[in-house]
Amino acid sequence: MRLAFMFVVLAGAVFYSYVAFVDLSFLSRTGRLGPGFFPRLVGVSAVVMTIWVIVDLLRDQRPEEDDASSWGDVVKLMVLALAYAVLLRLFGGFIATVIYLAMTLTVMNRDKYLQNAILSLTFPAGVYLLFDKLLNANMPPALFSFLN
Amino acid sequence: MDIFSDLMMGLSLAITPINLLYLLAGAMLGMIVGVIPGFGPSAGLAILLPVTFGMDPVGAIMMLAAIYYGAMYGGTITSILLNTPGESATVASTFDGFPLAKNGRAGPALVMQAVASFVGGTVGVIMITLLAPMFAQVSRSFGPPEYFLLAVMGMLTLIVMIGQQWKLGIISAMIGFALGTVGVDLETGQGRYTFGSAELIGGIYFIPIAIGLFGLGELFYAFHQGTHKTGTGGIVEYDKEERFWPTKHDFMSTRMTMARNSVLGFIVGVIPGAGATIASLMAYSTERSLSKHPERFGKGEMAGLVAPETANNAASSGAMIPLLTLGIPGSASTAVLLAAFLMWGLRPGPLFMEQNPELAWGLIASMYLGNMVLLIISIFAIPLFVQMIKVPYRILGPCVIVICTLGTFSVHASFIETYLMFAAGIVGFFMRLYGFSPAALVLALVLGPLAEEALRQTLTISRGSFSIFIERQASLWIIGVTLLLVVGLPLLNRFGKSAGDAEKVGS
Repeated sequence: MRLAFMFVVLAGAVFYSYVAFVDLSFLSRTGRLGPGFFPRLVGVSAVVMTIWVIVDLLRDQRPEEDDASSWGDVVKLMVLALAYAVLLRLFGGFIATVIYLAMTLTVMNRDKYLQNAILSLTFPAGVYLLFDKLLNANMPPALFSFLN
Repeated sequence: MDIFSDLMMGLSLAITPINLLYLLAGAMLGMIVGVIPGFGPSAGLAILLPVTFGMDPVGAIMMLAAIYYGAMYGGTITSILLNTPGESATVASTFDGFPLAKNGRAGPALVMQAVASFVGGTVGVIMITLLAPMFAQVSRSFGPPEYFLLAVMGMLTLIVMIGQQWKLGIISAMIGFALGTVGVDLETGQGRYTFGSAELIGGIYFIPIAIGLFGLGELFYAFHQGTHKTGTGGIVEYDKEERFWPTKHDFMSTRMTMARNSVLGFIVGVIPGAGATIASLMAYSTERSLSKHPERFGKGEMAGLVAPETANNAASSGAMIPLLTLGIPGSASTAVLLAAFLMWGLRPGPLFMEQNPELAWGLIASMYLGNMVLLIISIFAIPLFVQMIKVPYRILGPCVIVICTLGTFSVHASFIETYLMFAAGIVGFFMRLYGFSPAALVLALVLGPLAEEALRQTLTISRGSFSIFIERQASLWIIGVTLLLVVGLPLLNRFGKSAGDAEKVGS
């Protein structure tokens, strides 16, 4: 997984450097440092360092110690968090938060149905009061409200 | 005395009912965030920054500063009661803090850490009061060449402190620099990495990245490590002890410890990139070296807790000096503070204290008050924070995700920024897992645009010649200091870590 991540970083660095060399000029028309100067420097440095690290990893014979069971919950949490992002767009701040907490606590805090139900309602209510009423901050609007 | 009258002016601004309320709220929130394992000042500031929008700048800055050092106070509670540091700067507090608790002295340990934090923080603020105007005076002669070199110094010192994973630190910094180039090039007006998107023309905003990296990233990592599965059964029950308050001997035997580590912590904190973690480890090592009974360290020696606690709070104050007087953040936390200043249209630097005296001195005055408030809260609100520690992480985690998400959205009402935050959270998790440095990324994201602008201005002034860096006296001084730090800091870091490693293996 570590190697895969490094290759993703390398791909990003290569793409960044490509755009810097192709789309952005090194010098401006007036002969001063142009928009491409710094990105080229950053891109090349990132590519070189990433390749160096990848070579080190490939030379390192030690197998990667990673317990597969430790990934289960974190992947679930990430997927649920991304689902929350979608829910926010569809249902708005309060309802999406209730649904998200209900789903996540059901998965993470198993068998505590009453506790989860109470938390799923009280916490979003508290956060809504804090952000919307007390702080007068923006809360995500529901998509459906655009259709009305 | 000018400093005194400026400080009085600052106090008059700070001591208003609403500002005191913000101070109290910030201190409580900071301590609450600090108590959550893995969340430190950086995460606290990033997550709670959106809460300060809509406030007036003085009140908002006071609240943020209170959150900043409140998180330092809070991080030690779990170190003592759970042997789990709240964040990296409180690792050294576990060496003797937890043994003290196991020996039935959790109450005195908790009180002494509050007193030590108060002394370190207050001495640090006194030194800011005396030194900040002097630093600001010196830095008035700085121009673009010096600012570029300062930005380089900040990045280099942070990277050398990373230690063995320095290559990953450089890659992290490059990612931060790359993110900082997104937007419109100010000199030519050309779009860079915007790909025709209207949202990206303004650049990648700092807040979603910081919240994602430090908030969500840390959370995902904690779940990966199984923190949510372990209960809080290991918590030491301090309220069953005979004695809650420290003895006279505890205070008398550690008074010199507090005095010297306040100064040590402050000096280390001033150095960009060094920070509270290094300060606390160095303080522990130094104290052990100076002690008549070094064999007691690691087994519940009060000085072993007081030293790092004093130093890390003093370092937090010290880190404000380069931020306020040079506009250069030396750590992720002060980078978030700088982002907050910029958001309110303020530019910390040599002229900041002159052009915005009410803000600068209001902030410094609030730090005196904040330390007093935190001393009282730290001692008397301990039962509240202990209850917080007992909330299972599997419940706390999703709630933190909600706060982070809604906080990010509240900044610009932008779903794109919210999605960026989630992306940064996932990236932050992998960075944390594979030894990258989110702090280097965030620092680069803030310093990168400043450094690029300064370099381009420098080369315009010098007509393309790099010799300007050795022709200016101030630049030569900065280069000299940078070389000294790049060589000296790893040695100091090794000195500090060797004491920590010795404690871990029980030697």
